[in-house]
Amino acid sequence: MKLTVRFWSYFADVAGCRDAAFEVEEGTTLGELHDQVCEQSPKLADARNSTLKAVGVDYQDDNFVLSDGDEISFFPPVQGG
Amino acid sequence: MKAELTLSPNPIDEAALAKARSITDGMGAVVTFAGVVRDREGEAAITGIDYESFDDMARRQFELIFAEIEQRWPIESVRLAHRTGIVKVNEPSLWVEVVAAHRAEAFYACQFLIDQMKQRVPIWKKPIVT
Repeated sequence: MKLTVRFWSYFADVAGCRDAAFEVEEGTTLGELHDQVCEQSPKLADARNSTLKAVGVDYQDDNFVLSDGDEISFFPPVQGG
Repeated sequence: MKAELTLSPNPIDEAALAKARSITDGMGAVVTFAGVVRDREGEAAITGIDYESFDDMARRQFELIFAEIEQRWPIESVRLAHRTGIVKVNEPSLWVEVVAAHRAEAFYACQFLIDQMKQRVPIWKKPIVT
């Protein structure tokens, strides 16, 4: 499956890009994708516990099973206001 | 419940927003809140804050929060404006208005909206240090 991963806020600086393409096996969960992202960008692993994750425009947890073409966002705690 | 959301790099015109207010005769409470950029972020002096927004998701999360408010309190309308991009010190980055028949629900809903926004709506700030 082909996925698009988007990084927001300072995560984009840490990852070195705003968007990245990932190819994963069918049935991959959001948590497993997060593992792969952290392997490629070890600095993101330091923030793993506080990282928020969304698929499309909705928050999802680590057990969420991804689908081909999904857009996944990783970002730090939000700070509106 | 009517809900109006503005995410924009344009300055928030509080006077224009107040002038555009539309309420029915049974409403007795209008609570407004303006969040203004301070001149310090922690120990550092700053000239402003650069707000980054994941617009599509921010709109979705605000819609969910508005729906929760509608379930919890008898609110006639909510209007919210949040700046994106650079907001200078002393300028509002956030403006909220809640209209209800009575003040209790208007205050509760306004507080709830801002608290939820700070937990769920994907907007981030980067202070501009002097």
